[in-house]
Amino acid sequence: MNPPSIQTMIQAIPRSLGSYGPVIEEIEQALQSAQCNLSSIGDAIQKDPDLTARLLRLANSPYFGFAARLSTVAEAVSLLGIQQVQDLIIASSVLDRFKGVPDELVSMNSFWRHSLAVGIAARLIAMERRLPRPDKFFVAGLLHDVGRLVLLSQAPVHARAIFDLYRQERIPLHEAELKVLGYDHQQIAAELLYCWKFPPHLIHAVAFHHHPSAGEGRPEAAVVHVADHLVGAMGLGSSGEQMVSPLDEKAWAALGLGVESLSPLVSAIDEQIEAVEEVFLHRNHGSRP
Amino acid sequence: MVVAGDVKNIDGMLLVPAGCTLTERQIGILQAWGVAEVEVAASTETTRQHDPLARLPLAKLAQLTAELQARFWQPDATGPVPEEIFRLMLVRQARQFLKD
Repeated sequence: MNPPSIQTMIQAIPRSLGSYGPVIEEIEQALQSAQCNLSSIGDAIQKDPDLTARLLRLANSPYFGFAARLSTVAEAVSLLGIQQVQDLIIASSVLDRFKGVPDELVSMNSFWRHSLAVGIAARLIAMERRLPRPDKFFVAGLLHDVGRLVLLSQAPVHARAIFDLYRQERIPLHEAELKVLGYDHQQIAAELLYCWKFPPHLIHAVAFHHHPSAGEGRPEAAVVHVADHLVGAMGLGSSGEQMVSPLDEKAWAALGLGVESLSPLVSAIDEQIEAVEEVFLHRNHGSRP
Repeated sequence: MVVAGDVKNIDGMLLVPAGCTLTERQIGILQAWGVAEVEVAASTETTRQHDPLARLPLAKLAQLTAELQARFWQPDATGPVPEEIFRLMLVRQARQFLKD
């Protein structure tokens, strides 16, 4: 059976951002309005009780580490900023989009644990590197393997063939994808995010996360690559690949970080993952995939 | 005492990675395993007390090291960054083991 084209698979994925779509649209309209204020943004969010609870839980978690407790959406929006809140809503909506992907080849709990941890790590690296808008890197990390979800949901027969080859030949999973399909999950994700009108730097981060040195020397892919390597080494979930991908040392060098930054980075990832996982996956502490 | 270079057995299997702190008992076991000498960087009692790797039985340390190596596509990657990542992961595993 010939593998499906990337376009064919992506056409089967809903283009809207699901139940959060109206909230995102309302925020965008409020941002464009001359009368835009934090209160109108807060009102838009509060129409969705689940989103409100999620936002407040995250705002009060170690992910942000605010000393004072935030009790209203308006406080959260004013402290986090509208763009960051919008990113968190988008992250939530993407998780919802892929509910129901079969667990047969990859545990979805494990997949999202890995993705959230890479998001946390990417944001922390961007903060350490003092890159603008580090919250964007959380979204990039969260979505870096989303192409694999498209594969699992839209091409299950080929996905099984990929995993069989991966186990038989003991090659990295993305290389098995290339052998079976002629393309890999990075390309699928890049096409999907392009269709969803994500910004180019985010698409770039996802498209080159296994080969950041091929990515025109931009830091985005290097950040996600290093985050993916660290989280893989920490064993925080898995998107199917059971081994730790090699570290591209050029990518590390491009970030300009010292070796001494690794230890606090690992500690911070460990500190934040349980809280962020609980916020996005509604899971209780203690049951690790 | 802190090991400055990787300690391997005659088959080349990594027993103790560079950066680990060895106790007297661990040194005795290494000698029993036929390791004649190791490269040493430094040694203080304070380091030993705070280094979870130094508190592990040597056999457990070798087991955790082997298990961790088996998870890397490039377990022999050298250089300050891969070596520090490996050491941090080993410390993390050791902490988990001691906690359990």
